[in-house]
Amino acid sequence: MSFPITGVGAVASIGNTPDEIFAGLCAGRSGLAPLRGFDREKFKAQQLFEIDDRSGEGDEPGRATRFLVEAVRQAAADAGLGEDLSGVPILVGTGLRELRSLELWWRDGIPFDAADLDFGPALRERFGALDTHTFANACSASLYALALGWDLLEQGEADTVIVAGCDAVTESMFGQADRVQFDPPPAVRPFDRERQGTILGEGAAAVVLRREAAPGRPVRGWLRSVAVNCDARHPTAPDREGITASVRQAHETAKAAPGDIDLVLLHGTGTPVNDLMEAEVTAEVFAGARPALTGIKSQTGHTSGSAGLMSLLVALSAITSGRIPPIAGLSDPLPEAAGLRLVRDTPLAEPVGVAQVNGFGFGGVNAVAIVAGAA
Amino acid sequence: MSVAITGVGLLLPGLTDPQGLLGPAVPGADPVDPAALIGKKGLRYKDRATQIGLCLASAALTDAGLLDAGGLTVPGERVGVVVSTNLGNADTVCRAVATIAKEGTAGLSPMDTPNASSNITASETAIRFDLRGPNLTVCNGVTSGLDAVRWAALTVRSGRADHMLVLGVEPDNEVTRALVGGPVVDGGAAVVLGRAAGSARAEVTLGPTVRAASLAACADELTRTAPGGAGWFTDDPALVPVGAEHFGLHGWGECSGALGVLQCAAAVGWAATGRTEPVYALLGGAGTASTGLVLTPRGPSS
Repeated sequence: MSFPITGVGAVASIGNTPDEIFAGLCAGRSGLAPLRGFDREKFKAQQLFEIDDRSGEGDEPGRATRFLVEAVRQAAADAGLGEDLSGVPILVGTGLRELRSLELWWRDGIPFDAADLDFGPALRERFGALDTHTFANACSASLYALALGWDLLEQGEADTVIVAGCDAVTESMFGQADRVQFDPPPAVRPFDRERQGTILGEGAAAVVLRREAAPGRPVRGWLRSVAVNCDARHPTAPDREGITASVRQAHETAKAAPGDIDLVLLHGTGTPVNDLMEAEVTAEVFAGARPALTGIKSQTGHTSGSAGLMSLLVALSAITSGRIPPIAGLSDPLPEAAGLRLVRDTPLAEPVGVAQVNGFGFGGVNAVAIVAGAA
Repeated sequence: MSVAITGVGLLLPGLTDPQGLLGPAVPGADPVDPAALIGKKGLRYKDRATQIGLCLASAALTDAGLLDAGGLTVPGERVGVVVSTNLGNADTVCRAVATIAKEGTAGLSPMDTPNASSNITASETAIRFDLRGPNLTVCNGVTSGLDAVRWAALTVRSGRADHMLVLGVEPDNEVTRALVGGPVVDGGAAVVLGRAAGSARAEVTLGPTVRAASLAACADELTRTAPGGAGWFTDDPALVPVGAEHFGLHGWGECSGALGVLQCAAAVGWAATGRTEPVYALLGGAGTASTGLVLTPRGPSS
């Protein structure tokens, strides 16, 4: 079974549409910049991958919602759904909800309504959407939401679903990371020996998923499976067994052997522990197969809840264009990745038919999707 | 495929029996004490919502026959978790930002790092009981609790899991009180969902879920698709037809994301009193969409 993706939308620090983001990745553009919304004197780390959309000095509430609404608007328009989405379920995966607005309310007294912690009221106001759902599933949230969107279609509960992910950086999450990082990383360098950790980013991504392609409308790609599970081992560290199980489950559901997969969009956060674990699991699962491997977080930052879907959109662009952006900042791969075909330095021109997308999050929540081009 | 509630857990000040939800709140009861219920081990540094959630999980999994003294009685990869909470980690987030303003990040505790992530209760529950199936945190406002039940039921129907533990929990603290303008329930409920067929423990089967622009539209849709309901769990007594019973579940403080799961626990209580008619659970309100669920007791003969 597979479902057509008929619309896409995204915003990130390096671009305001999926095409701009993909072009930025291929061109080596980075969204890393000095802190825009936080008081720089309070933090050791001085950089984030923020979206530069604030109108004045300091910070303002409601930004995660704004990113989400824009990504959903793009995806709906791309699929020809228009702006009345009253009959379409919208599933949103997020790490940090509108917690930045909550912070500004608590610290600065900026008015905030508890009802706006989730995205339902805003999606109703903008698109008339009623069946809206906010899932707070850390860094695999948007792929988790995609799994539920799949289930809605597969169980016949909907014909069309919009799945999205979004996050704006919160000071609490940035601050907790700052507290435990002795030396803040100067850059995100996934799978490099010298990688020092991740840096958060902002963004939103959305797809329209349908039971059947609409006649006369373009199809952006096909979703062949989404596997989800939980490590049940550690609140923040990844687990080999759990991650391996999620990857194998995704392959099994998609009826894809490792050798059928041409490209893997790695979670690749640039933290010592994630990249080591992900390299080892990938080497084991793909033993004998040699897919191209890439990741986007050195240029977009770790966009948390939207990260998985953002990677998925990049996979779709690679399938469509036959170009795979490289992992920026990777010069000396970790030894465990020695047998892996990590894309480096320049975009790789290579046909991609089937791609795997990894998303792993705090709490051991793993989600892995398989997407494909036209059958 | 029909999905049923196969286990229940309830933890409110002075109340652990679901039948008690059909009556008034217990006045003057002491706060829920997690350490007294499941021991101190493993509770240190956990936030209040997570501590209560772990107690609820233990009670519901045990009631469903999935947990005994030797641990899980079924494979952990076939059991998943859905947590509904809107306010769960609001205190950690707000305390952090206040600390940073005063002392910079040096004043933060590294032990709070996991608690800054809104899925902390779901992940800690998975870790403690080795639940390796789908693990989801629903933060969806007033409808959250019933939404969590809906997603858990879908996950059972789609075959991603055999059993889904649903927790609804909200903590009471300075931040959550300020946010909702009054005391918060500081407790919650849990249900375990599984396939109705072949389960000796199935107490209540889950009927259709409806979603609409208003509570009244949901109520109409529920009575149209599943007529014959005799009990209504809703904030709005005006929706309850003459002759039907109304349960507001009032008096426990703001229940927020826990309310829908409390309604499902109350339906189990309804069934335990020997009633066999369906009940309707309704959540929603001004400015948000509304949702409704039919819950039908299996009855003594089925």
